Amino acid sequence: MTAPSRRRTLTGRVALAATGALAALALTACGSGDSSDAASGGDADYGDLTVQLSWIKNIEFLGEYMADTNGYYTDAGFSSVNLVAGPSTGVAELVSGSADVALSDAVSVGTAVANEDAPVKIVGTTFQKNPFTILSLTDGGNITTPEDLVGKKIGVQDSNTSLFQALLAANGIDPSSVEVVPVQYDASVLTNGEVDGYVAYLTNESVIVEHQGFSVANLPFADNGLPFVAETFTVTDDAIANDRDRIKAFLVAEIKGWTDALKDQDTAVGLAVDTYGADLGLDAETEGLSATAQAGLIVSPETEANGLFTISDELQSETVASLAGAGLDVQASDIFDLSLLQEVYEENPDLKAYAE
Amino acid sequence: MTTTSPPGAAAQPTRVPEPRPRPSDPEPAQSAARRALLRAIGRSLLTFLGTLVTVVVIWWGAIVLLDLSSYVAKSPLDVVQFLFTEPDAAENRAVVMDALGITLNHAFIGFVTGLVAAVVGAVLFVLFRPVEQTLMPVAMLLRSVPLIAMAPVIIMIFGRGVATVAVIGGIVVVFPALVNVVAGLKAAPPALHDVVEVYGGSSWAMVRKVSIPAAMPSLFASIRISVPGAITGALLAEWLATGDGLGGTINRAASQVQFDLLWAGVVVVTLAALALYALAQVVENLVLAQLGMLRPGR
Repeated sequence: MTAPSRRRTLTGRVALAATGALAALALTACGSGDSSDAASGGDADYGDLTVQLSWIKNIEFLGEYMADTNGYYTDAGFSSVNLVAGPSTGVAELVSGSADVALSDAVSVGTAVANEDAPVKIVGTTFQKNPFTILSLTDGGNITTPEDLVGKKIGVQDSNTSLFQALLAANGIDPSSVEVVPVQYDASVLTNGEVDGYVAYLTNESVIVEHQGFSVANLPFADNGLPFVAETFTVTDDAIANDRDRIKAFLVAEIKGWTDALKDQDTAVGLAVDTYGADLGLDAETEGLSATAQAGLIVSPETEANGLFTISDELQSETVASLAGAGLDVQASDIFDLSLLQEVYEENPDLKAYAE
Repeated sequence: MTTTSPPGAAAQPTRVPEPRPRPSDPEPAQSAARRALLRAIGRSLLTFLGTLVTVVVIWWGAIVLLDLSSYVAKSPLDVVQFLFTEPDAAENRAVVMDALGITLNHAFIGFVTGLVAAVVGAVLFVLFRPVEQTLMPVAMLLRSVPLIAMAPVIIMIFGRGVATVAVIGGIVVVFPALVNVVAGLKAAPPALHDVVEVYGGSSWAMVRKVSIPAAMPSLFASIRISVPGAITGALLAEWLATGDGLGGTINRAASQVQFDLLWAGVVVVTLAALALYALAQVVENLVLAQLGMLRPGR
């Protein structure tokens, strides 16, 4: 099967003919993003924006909260922004058209591209290094090497299935030697003994569980054959081709939002705890610790030189190598398209200096 | 003694006074019953085929009319291709059929658990009124709290194995079956109870000789409607707890954008549910015909 970037099938054409007027209307609506306004222009109208988040609304999306609260999305030309909570890889939402941008990780996206010819690309990333880990308790699973996974019961969210399979493949662990059970976003399955290990973030659940007084062990993906970028901005090939300015406007708003979040972390964490994630019962103290740990993933010498969200050629080839280690054959150009971000920084050079 | 029972009624105490098809022609009654049975089976098969055609028409029609992305919305042809004609078809079939086997096994566990609980519960309800008054609210509770909300608690108590599958499947199956069977047990006319009472029968004898035979049509109706319920329960348990079977496969396929696998899984489980429902209907007709309870109008 070749990449069907929203190809019109014969049946689709028949439907189009039958509902000609309606289709024409819909096409006009879709085309509204093609206006020639510059990405940074304030008077462009890009309509409603839907962003599929990879996880629940905790501190992982501080930049998005700041961009929304400080009006950067509306400044960029979006009439409203809908941040949809995960867990999700977002690829299904993107290709079905229910989300405009998905925040996920390079391996989940790469797997969908390699195996299913998903017509999507990564146009930038929040985390320069992925914080995925197999979290366990030292007096429980105590998983510190890939071999420790054998014979254990591991809680894996459906959205992280590809990722976990890649970890096993990269380390030559037979998938049938590990028992995978479906879990949701609640790490209590680990502390109540339902599972021996749990796919988590070093910067989040690991911090939270440790803060609850447990002694934790980690098996970081990045140190075990899978260094790749995470919280990537993924869009469809169709959007890159036809709604380029719209995506660039989104990136401008995101850069401004994350710049604010890094500068004023306390306010951003407050937004996560009290507003966006209010019904999650987040603890301000641990979320603050998480945010601090997370900031170390977002900034690097690379971002200081070239701006937030950039993915160096080296990081791109690391991601491709991670996928190759997991048996997935893709080129960097199959999954990354950094040209939009490059244009954003060329058109708005002042955005680069996020630290000032 | 409130009612005087005519001696004729005592002749057939185990029969329910359902009006039996009275042959109007000189043919023996048995052959008329057989014809009614064949008609009923034929109707079941026709319903099955009709449903199949309707589903395919709606499926294809929705894709065409709504102009859905062919990447997400697979057509019946895509599914046939995935399962039968493409080079990896044998492998794909193995994945889907293995998962279906697990799901049917889980559905069977939930079905038996739920139905046994429903029948035992219904008999207890009829024998001891206070039991009904105490336990019916619990059954209502099981019905009204969404299973998804209860799942974490069930998983905590019963783990992620067969016990949870039985509990989740059982909860889906038990309520409609319970209500149906209780209604069936109470459906016997009071006159028959009086007969048993006149002959000195206990309340258990009453249940055994009158209520249970009278409840046969409702019991089989319960079995029939429990089949899709049990499959729903199995899928739910697999999605939330065990992660295997079609419930796990379908959800993982969705998050990994394996839409061919996703649609094949949905199609296969739907076909299995339709086929089992039709089978239950045929068995129901056979047994009820044997008992002389097959209503010719059905």
